[in-house]
Amino acid sequence: MATPQQLQLLAPLSGVLMALDQVPDPVFAGRIIGDGLCIDPTSSTLCAPLAGVVSDVQASGHALTITSDAGVQVLMHIGLDTVNLAGEGFTRRVETGQRVEAGQALIDFDADYIALHARSLLTLMLVVSGEPFASLVGSTGLVEVGQPVLDVVVGAAVGEHPAPMPGDAVFSQPINLPNSNGLHARPAAVFAQAAKAFSATIHLHKLQAQANGKSLVAIMALQTAHGDSVQVSAEGEDAEAAVAALTRLLNEGCGEAVTAPAPVEANAAEMPNILRGVCASPGSALGQVMQVIEASLTVNEFGAEPPIELEALSQALIEADMALQHLRDTASGQAQAEIFKAHQELLADPSLLDQARALIDAGNSAAFAWKTSTDATAAMFRSLGNALLAERAADLDDVGQRVLKLILGVHEQTLELPDDTILIADQLTPSQTAGLDTRKVLGFATVGGGATSHVAILARACGLPAICGMPLQMLGLGNGTRVLLDADKGELQLHPDAESIDQLRTRHERQRQRHQQELAQASEAACTRDGQHIEVTANVASQGETAQAMELGASGVGLLRSEFLYLGRQQAPSQDEQVATYSAIARTIGPAHNLVVRTLDVGGDKPLAYVPMDSETNPFLGLRGIRLCLERPQLLREQFRAILACCELTRLHIMLPMVTNLAELRLARQILEEEARVVGIRHMPKLGIMIEVPAAALMADVLAPHVDFFSIGTNDLTQYTLAMDRDHPRLASQADSFHPSVLRLIAMTVKAAHAHRKWVGVCGAMASERLAVPLLLGLDVDELSVSVPLIPAIKSAVREVNLADCRIIAEQVSNLESAADVRAALQQFHGAKVDASPVMEN
Amino acid sequence: MFDKLQQAFWKALTPDLVPDEVKAVAEPIAGLSAEIVAALGGVDNLKSQQPLALTRVRVTLHDAACVDRQALSMAGVSGVMCLEGGVLHLITGLRA
Repeated sequence: MATPQQLQLLAPLSGVLMALDQVPDPVFAGRIIGDGLCIDPTSSTLCAPLAGVVSDVQASGHALTITSDAGVQVLMHIGLDTVNLAGEGFTRRVETGQRVEAGQALIDFDADYIALHARSLLTLMLVVSGEPFASLVGSTGLVEVGQPVLDVVVGAAVGEHPAPMPGDAVFSQPINLPNSNGLHARPAAVFAQAAKAFSATIHLHKLQAQANGKSLVAIMALQTAHGDSVQVSAEGEDAEAAVAALTRLLNEGCGEAVTAPAPVEANAAEMPNILRGVCASPGSALGQVMQVIEASLTVNEFGAEPPIELEALSQALIEADMALQHLRDTASGQAQAEIFKAHQELLADPSLLDQARALIDAGNSAAFAWKTSTDATAAMFRSLGNALLAERAADLDDVGQRVLKLILGVHEQTLELPDDTILIADQLTPSQTAGLDTRKVLGFATVGGGATSHVAILARACGLPAICGMPLQMLGLGNGTRVLLDADKGELQLHPDAESIDQLRTRHERQRQRHQQELAQASEAACTRDGQHIEVTANVASQGETAQAMELGASGVGLLRSEFLYLGRQQAPSQDEQVATYSAIARTIGPAHNLVVRTLDVGGDKPLAYVPMDSETNPFLGLRGIRLCLERPQLLREQFRAILACCELTRLHIMLPMVTNLAELRLARQILEEEARVVGIRHMPKLGIMIEVPAAALMADVLAPHVDFFSIGTNDLTQYTLAMDRDHPRLASQADSFHPSVLRLIAMTVKAAHAHRKWVGVCGAMASERLAVPLLLGLDVDELSVSVPLIPAIKSAVREVNLADCRIIAEQVSNLESAADVRAALQQFHGAKVDASPVMEN
Repeated sequence: MFDKLQQAFWKALTPDLVPDEVKAVAEPIAGLSAEIVAALGGVDNLKSQQPLALTRVRVTLHDAACVDRQALSMAGVSGVMCLEGGVLHLITGLRA
């Protein structure tokens, strides 16, 4: 052993010191990676604390290791959980293998971006090679970049490298890494720590590359990503035990929460007879399984001369754009056409192209460059913790794959479908579904996706049943397996028996007959058997939908979602455009019916390009709806003015979303009155509010005297009351508006409104459910505003019931304990009071 | 006129607001002590403030030149990071 020497480490940043124990991250605080210090930075360039060779820079630029000639390894990690930023906000100024001087600039970072998007900026400098050190600065106070901070005793390292034992190495099965960012610093540290407990020599293998399993830096240098296949090998006495323990650790995510713990295994013996998921589009169907599997593509990292590769990329982009244009032109519906239009826009995204071009200039192949840049961007979308953006990551993957195939010359093969297909897939991409013969497809079941996913949109547009959030096991089903897809129940039944099949057929036949009858009676009034008239109106978001609704027998519009005028554009709509749109809709409805216009309802989850907003940790509890409009009163003022222009054309109602306090209502009314004076309106339109925040329902008696009407938004009211996200894959099925707590809030709202002679509508999804009709009528709701295609069905449901019966059942179910109990009781009521009697009334 | 009303209304909505006894320059803002606000050039110099990144408060100022570093330090701000566009990060330590 050499004589111990001193090595001074310099502060890599200026900033405020924090004791390592205080760092709110168990891996760093527990010194699992190594001991050192933590700085809360006030400068934004990370500088080398010592001279040496850069032994690893993470591709995402947030962490870097330097090894000195004497073997001292120092890891610097900028911020906490910054790996999720996928490189955004970091600029690397050095490469792996480069020699650097002490004090040399290593990484520039955008402190403001990181502060706004990551958990913390707290930066760690850790001696990972394990030498003891003395601190020169204590653990609190300020440090300046370049100031000596630690005295490391070189040559006294505790870590030793035993010579590998002769003998055969034991290898694990391949393991697909479940960690969403691969083995970055923290999981790598947990792995290395566990590996050190064994005396065997341990290696981690990824393709041809291998790393010492006990070295954090070596593992990080493998640059693994989510889904990468790795193997553990061990050589020595306890090799078997080591491989078993480390395999389990990798599968479990090395201390990180991971979603897909086990690899997919097609194990028919363990497959239960019924697989459960979440309904994405209602209905049911009997058919046979067809698995949709995306072929994996081989991509070479290095390419020909950059000009040749660049040409290949632009050629593929042009072809992809043409193919998308064709898909758009031949799309079966508006929704699909919109999706392909969005894909074309993604293709033209300058940041994607810039990244890809830079990689090509660095000698990479076109395929590799394109894949890397789309993968990185998709990973960033996913890491932002926003369901909508995560869905867009799926779109980006799809476009990425399309272009990649064109570069590689792989031909898109259209799937040959047998009749009566139930499509099964991990995720279905728009491209996969575009070429499908929907006449042969009866339904979809996917592992990924949510209510806003592409499959859900497509399935609803085609009127096909679909379920998502299915267990991974489903991917093990053999093609041709007979299955019964019951999306209403969220179930996929395998090998259904004759009885279930018969039931399904009878149900379909009955549904078809009922649907025809409903359509025939659509224009008749919706009156209960005992003569109570109920307004059934429509939820719409365009003039086309309004016209369709009126044709299907709607008595007006109960919810016009005015967002459609604002979303997906670079500037606010002009006054003239707004006036023209509102007027056209008002004319379609006419003076005999209500038009309820909801003012702009957006928030941090779907920001508008021209209404810059600070990013919010929880947009659903942030500046949404009326809160945003009162922050930007000009927007509201302009909208009021445009709406007021159609005052004479219809029975105009204006509705404010997300009202929580009376003060909000008062402020909005004041603005409305000011605008009405400017325009010179004689008859003020009615002003009402959405009841979608529990506070508003609880305060309904205070709010009622100040409004003309209430409309209950059951979707948001439910998610805020139950504290469950309705798009959450695991909670969605429980976030049910039939929960007695929600029913009580509805009852409370109606009672307060009627005491002041104000009417109450329900415009949430609940109103469009047949099962809810007796319940809502029983709670004395005056108006049901439903989605356009369901208007005839809901009107017919109203005609089937007695208001007196409804009141009794509503009273009873409000005292039950869960949403499931309420649904069961209503099913029973339906069976007893509705099905038993003929439906041919009125 | 409207802005004032709106401001008053938002203040009423913020539950952890310190009651505004003194209508002085150093009026306390949610999360920032009166001393810190004063050191930042008073409430009128403060465009926005947002606690973030566990240890920081991000403030946007109309004029970053009005900042009294000494006073900030006295007020318990252990570090200050000046960024573009009048944005300042005040390092105030881990929030409970």
